[in-house]
Amino acid sequence: MHRYSFILLRPLQFVPVVFGVSLITFILVRMIPGDPARVLLGARATPTAIANIRAQFGLDEPLWLQYLYFLRNLANGEMGMSIVYRIDVLRLIGTRIEPTFALILCSVVLSILIAVPLAAIAARNQGRPVDHAIRFVSTFGIGFPPFWLGLMLIMLLAVKFPIFPVSGYGETLGDKLAHLALPALTIALSLSTVLLRSLRAAMVDWLKSDVATAARARGMPESIVFWRHVLPNSIVPTINLLAVNIGWLIGGTVVIESIFALPGMGQLLVRAIFSRDYMVVQGVAMVFACATVLVNFLADIATVAADPRVKL
Amino acid sequence: MSAPLLSVRDLSVVVRGDEGERTLLERVSLDLAPGEILGLVGESGSGKSLLCRSLVQLLPSRAISVARGEVWMGGRDLLALGEAQMQQVRGAEIGMIFQNPSSHLDPVMRVGDQIVEGLCFHRRLDRAAAKAEALAIMGQVGFTDPARQFASYPHEFSGGMRQRAMIAVALACDPKILIADEPTTALDVTIQAQILRLLMELREKRGLSIILITHDLGVVAQTCDRIAVMRQGRVVEVGDKRALLAGPAHPYTRALIASHPSMPADGEYDQVDDQADRTDEASLPRPSAVPARPLVEIDDLHIRYPLPGGLFGRRRSFSAVDGVSLQIRPGETVGIVGESGSGKSTLARAMLGLTPISDGHVSFDGATLRGQPAVALAKIRRQAAMVFQDPFNSLNPRLTIGQTLAEVLHVQGKVAPAAIPARVTELLELVELDPALAGRRPRQLSGGQCQRAGIARALAVDPRLIVADECVAALDVTIQAQIVALFQRLVKTMDLTLVFIAHDLAIVRHLCERVVVMHHGRIVEEGPCAEVFARPREAYTAALIAAIPDIDPDRRLLAPPPELIAC
Repeated sequence: MHRYSFILLRPLQFVPVVFGVSLITFILVRMIPGDPARVLLGARATPTAIANIRAQFGLDEPLWLQYLYFLRNLANGEMGMSIVYRIDVLRLIGTRIEPTFALILCSVVLSILIAVPLAAIAARNQGRPVDHAIRFVSTFGIGFPPFWLGLMLIMLLAVKFPIFPVSGYGETLGDKLAHLALPALTIALSLSTVLLRSLRAAMVDWLKSDVATAARARGMPESIVFWRHVLPNSIVPTINLLAVNIGWLIGGTVVIESIFALPGMGQLLVRAIFSRDYMVVQGVAMVFACATVLVNFLADIATVAADPRVKL
Repeated sequence: MSAPLLSVRDLSVVVRGDEGERTLLERVSLDLAPGEILGLVGESGSGKSLLCRSLVQLLPSRAISVARGEVWMGGRDLLALGEAQMQQVRGAEIGMIFQNPSSHLDPVMRVGDQIVEGLCFHRRLDRAAAKAEALAIMGQVGFTDPARQFASYPHEFSGGMRQRAMIAVALACDPKILIADEPTTALDVTIQAQILRLLMELREKRGLSIILITHDLGVVAQTCDRIAVMRQGRVVEVGDKRALLAGPAHPYTRALIASHPSMPADGEYDQVDDQADRTDEASLPRPSAVPARPLVEIDDLHIRYPLPGGLFGRRRSFSAVDGVSLQIRPGETVGIVGESGSGKSTLARAMLGLTPISDGHVSFDGATLRGQPAVALAKIRRQAAMVFQDPFNSLNPRLTIGQTLAEVLHVQGKVAPAAIPARVTELLELVELDPALAGRRPRQLSGGQCQRAGIARALAVDPRLIVADECVAALDVTIQAQIVALFQRLVKTMDLTLVFIAHDLAIVRHLCERVVVMHHGRIVEEGPCAEVFARPREAYTAALIAAIPDIDPDRRLLAPPPELIAC
């Protein structure tokens, strides 16, 4: 068995996962009290109008039949029609996926750019003032809730010193990045502290390890010992931590998207829940679930690439 | 002796703690001649490793520092050099290899790249030249297929190959002196013999000087020119190998030589042995004389582990134990020997019902593990106990020794709760531990004390059978000798059956009546100890016995080609 052969086999495991997620979201959405047709037509709608809408979207069918339709649509790569927007759910998600994806990507890149150098400085100066300072400051990142941090960043960097736009999303690439800067920074400030702590602890251990001693004993300067031996070994445990946090982020961008009025999936999901737009809620939940599975899959590949001893 | 290559003068090393300074090395002076192998012998904690670390200014902690002394090499005092100059000395002039290659090789870097690293840094070779040189070095240290093995990672190698890789990494920097810190302690005897022979070969070919740190006088006797004996931070005796082994001046050196298990001549070791033999004959039924019912009966035992396989691939399995039949009678002491991976530990665990059986039968006192698992396990748990290899990690670090013993006594319920404290004291006295140590935790004890506690825990079961799995492998020779003597006394005075697993044949020869030799999951030879060791029938057994480094320098290690013998 080749070490990377799991890349071909693993996608087979996605099938039961997707099936399970579809069943759970389908049932949970329908357990929310309320009727999409009633929400859509308002309080004074006639029973006939409501029945029409229900028939049009298949909501009058028995639940098990509705689920079978949902599965049939999924198998055809469709997710049905949004009751509110009256367009195909997949197309709707397609218009909203980019800001969310870009936000998560920027946050993760920014967190790594913050965490790795700071962890390296702290670990190499373990016990010295600079180490204490980095660890002290990093506790703020964990202590402050993201919504508060987001508001503070808006007040400071968008209102008092108008460097970045307050909210919304842009058209051109540069414009988009400018709009993403503050929300991404908000997420990165808390995400990087988690990575920083894990990385620093691993680096401190590896700096004291036999591997480092052996490298020093053959005359390697401290910089080579660190970048070539300590860092690659320290990264391994942090990969899975990052994957777990990205998985959490995928569902957790709702708050940040609301604060910064980013037209992403999180906002779409919140509105769909309020309007009982079953198809959209199901669709977004499916996309989130698949993205989380995919991130963990990528993390597995990264782990295998980073540590030759790992076999999956 | 020609002008020394390295000369240590009055080296003292201290550690600063809360209670002031403590001296770790005291006025150590040593010389190393070009092309010489110097053996540095002593127990753990005697300062052997620290001395070598001090030579290259790689002290293990910031609290430890050199108080005084000089280390002369090539006309300069190494201790006076700055960090940048020291980096040129480390590796390029003084290389090091370590006891545990698994933890000293970078696990996520290809072995070849680790060799190339030194070549690029010290010898300023470009990548292609460095790779060619690395392949040549790998060939020199005994890699059979350097081109392929260059791209392998350390975990893909066996322990012996890892040590070869470690040696290759050290040689890449082309040092004049190689410090080998217990390089073979973690290896099987046959692999140890190969590595030692490789070191001697490198000395011949490259004119390398070697400082060989070891606790095994046999290793020193086989490889070194001169011996320095260290104890409590001092060099107590230095001298030519033959002179020192033949006429040790210091009492500590004499004790070390007496504790060496391959030494069948005089010494306290042998007296204990004689006594044990006499009482054996008097009190224990001889296997041939009285056909007692076997305590443990193993019949055509197979233990297989599934290998990780694909979703669609055929499930393959690895046979750890492959058709073993063995009977152990009450009161017997049986040694099971073999190299790592021979299945001896698996067999032992199967005896105690600790590992699932794939095929065959194991019965304990008439109850078979497969037929009546509940009955057999109940009997085993109340009548058998195990002593483990790692004395620290097999004791719960959060419990004191007293609590650990009381827990066993409580669970077993053979002793009334009120009598437990008295029994704990009794058990500690039985294993010659000061009962005052009952309040200590494993970390506050030495390795030997911990292993005694581990034996006391096994005895707390009040067992008929004790299985000891490599229980002295991690201990110093003098402590080893004490623990073996303890076992001998316990077997003699209590009605105990002992299964003693070891890769060290010499210890088994002293302790056991019967020996079972295992190889690749099978029993290749078994019989009375004296007979098997004197006249091994199988070539494998003979090879194992020949690989034991004898303390007599004239009894050669595995009879290597004569040109490799330095003495």
